[in-house]
Amino acid sequence: MKTTVIGAYPKISDEHQDLRRALHRHDRGELDADGLSGVLDESTRWAIGELDWAGLDVINDGQVRWDDLLAPFARAWTGCDRGPLERFYDNNTYFRQPVITGPITTEGTTLVRDFEFARGVARGQLKAAVCGPLTFATLAEDHHYRSLEDRTLAVADAIAAEIRGLGAAGATLVDVEEPALVAHPEHFALARAAIERLALAGVPLALQTYFFPADPLLDALAAFPVAQVGVDVRSRDTHALERLNALRQTVVLGIVDARNTRVETESELVGLIETALRQLPADYVWLAPTTGLEYLPHDVAVKKLKVLVAAAHAAGGVKA
Amino acid sequence: MSDQVLLTTTVGSFGKPEYLQKARNASARGKIGESELNELERKATEEWIRRQERLDIDILVDGEMYRGDMVAYFAERLDGFRIGGLVRSYGNRYYHKPIIASKVGRPKPMTVDWFRYTQSLTDRPVKGMLTGPYTMLDWSYNEAYKTRRDAALALAEVVRQEAEDLQAAGARYIRIDEPAIHARPEEIDIAIEAMGVVTQNLDAKTISHICYGDFAAIYPKVLELPVDQLDLAMANYGYRWLELFNKDPFTKELAIGIVDVHSHETETVATAAEGIRKGLRHVSKERLLPHPDCGLKTRSVEESEEKCRVVVEATKVVRKELAREATPA
Repeated sequence: MKTTVIGAYPKISDEHQDLRRALHRHDRGELDADGLSGVLDESTRWAIGELDWAGLDVINDGQVRWDDLLAPFARAWTGCDRGPLERFYDNNTYFRQPVITGPITTEGTTLVRDFEFARGVARGQLKAAVCGPLTFATLAEDHHYRSLEDRTLAVADAIAAEIRGLGAAGATLVDVEEPALVAHPEHFALARAAIERLALAGVPLALQTYFFPADPLLDALAAFPVAQVGVDVRSRDTHALERLNALRQTVVLGIVDARNTRVETESELVGLIETALRQLPADYVWLAPTTGLEYLPHDVAVKKLKVLVAAAHAAGGVKA
Repeated sequence: MSDQVLLTTTVGSFGKPEYLQKARNASARGKIGESELNELERKATEEWIRRQERLDIDILVDGEMYRGDMVAYFAERLDGFRIGGLVRSYGNRYYHKPIIASKVGRPKPMTVDWFRYTQSLTDRPVKGMLTGPYTMLDWSYNEAYKTRRDAALALAEVVRQEAEDLQAAGARYIRIDEPAIHARPEEIDIAIEAMGVVTQNLDAKTISHICYGDFAAIYPKVLELPVDQLDLAMANYGYRWLELFNKDPFTKELAIGIVDVHSHETETVATAAEGIRKGLRHVSKERLLPHPDCGLKTRSVEESEEKCRVVVEATKVVRKELAREATPA
C-alpha cells in the first residue's frame, strides 16, 4: 500500500500568508507578474515540502497555481474564455466557468513548466494532475460545439495533448480528476470514450472520482483503461468500500474525509483499510484523502495527513 | 410607503464606507475597542438608512454594517460553534469556516438590538435578517451531530428563537436566507423541514433569499419552503429561471433581482425595467418586488447606491406603464 494525495493543498494558513499578501499586492499593482510568479514558486516549494514531510509515498505539487480545477486549461487553451464565478458542486467554493467560443486547441505544454519545477523540488515520487474531460465539459458554457458528446471529446483531445506533454516531461502517473463522472453517472459511456482518448497518450492514469458515491458505477469503472481508480468511501452514504472487488485496477481509497474537520482516529482508518484488504491484495490499494485538502483549514489538513500515514503504517502495508 | 405595487427592496448588505473598513481592520488587530467600532457601525447604518430613504426604497435593510460573513456572524454568537482556520472560497478570498463542535444553543439575541436601532431611524419598514439553518449547516463543518438533518434541525431551533424575538421587537418582514439550499438538491426536504421549524409561529412576512446555484434542480419543490416570499437572483442568470414558471407556476411572492451585483458596471434603467416586465409575466404586480440580485457588500458605497438607484428608477418606469394601462381611455 502507498499513501498519496489528490487535488489542491491549502495554499495558505493563518501562519503562512506570503502568497495571500503577494496576490493582494499584485491586485493593487504593487507586484508585477514576475514577482508574483516567484512567490507562487516559493509557495509550491512550501506545499511540496509539507507533503514530503508528512511521509506520503506519492505526492503532487499542491496545485498552488490553480485557481480552480478548470482554470489552468481555460486560461491556456485557444477557443476558451473565462466566464462568471459558479459554485463548485456542493461546496462553498467557487470556480470560474469556462466559456467555449471556438474549437479548443492546445500545444499540450500547459502544465510542463510547473511539473518540471515541482520535480526539481520533490524528494519522493511526484505525480501530475489534469481536469477530467467530462467535468470540464459539463461545467463549461458552450457557444461552439453542438452537443455534450462533441464538447467532451474535444476537451478529451486537448487534455490528451496535455498528458502527452507531461509524459514527455517525465510524468509517470497522471491523476484525472473527474467528479462529474460520479455526479452524473448517466454519462459514464461518454466519460469512458473520453478517457480512452486520454489513455492513448501512453502515460498511466489515475481516475479520481470524488464528492459523490461511486456505488452505481463500480462495475462500469472496472472497464476504464486506467491504472488506478480513486473512490471516496467516506463523504456520503456509500457502500463502495464493501464492493471494491468489482474493480480491476489499483484502488486509491479515499479514507480521510477532506471535507470535514473532525480528525479520524488511527484505529478508525485501520478498520477501513482492513475491509479493503479483505477484498484486494495490498499492492492494489493506495490510501488517500477523499478529495483535495484545500477544503480544510491548513492545520486540520496536516493532522489528517499525519493520521493517514500512521494508519497505513499500523495496517502493515507501509514501511515505518 | 409608496402607493402600492412593485415594492422595492434590497437583499440586505451594502458596501461599507472606508472609515468602517479601516475600523474593522483595526479592531481585528486589537487597535480599537468594541465600543469605538460599534459607534462607527451605527453611524454607517444611519447613513445607509438615509440613503435608502433618499433613493425612495420601500422596504429597508440595515445594510449589515456590523457583519462580515453571513454564517460566521451567527456562529461567533452561538454556543456550540468554534471558528476554524482559513479556507479558500475563490482566488484570494478566504474565510474562517465555522465548525459545529458541540450542541448548538443561543445564549442571547444576536440581531434584535440592531433591528431596534435601525427601525428607530425610519418610518419605513426594516427587515429582520437571518441566515437559514440549512445554509448555516452547509457552510460549516459538522463534527457534533450524527446526521446533517439532526444538525439542521438543531440550528433551526436557534434561528426560530431569533426570528420570534425579531417579530416581538416589531419586525414585519423577516428574511431567513438559504443561498445553499440547492447545494445538495436531494436534501431539500431537510431544508424545508428546518424552515418549517423557524417560521411556525411567525405572523411577519417571511422571505428567503436564494442565489448562485442550480435553482432548476430544486424547482418546483422549493415552492414547499414555508416562507411567503422567495428572493431570487435573476439578472445574473439572464432571467432563465423564469422559464421554469411556464410549466410549474410560481405560487409565492417573488423578489426579483434585476441588477447584477458582481460587476462594477450597472445595467441601464431600461434594461432593469425589462427585467421587471419579464417578472410580471409570471407574478402579479402586487406580489413582485424588484431589487438587486444579491447583497451588495462586495461593492463600494457608490456602486451600491447606483445599483439601488437603477432598481428604483426602473420600478417607477414600469409603475407608470401599469398606471397608464389601468386608466380608462
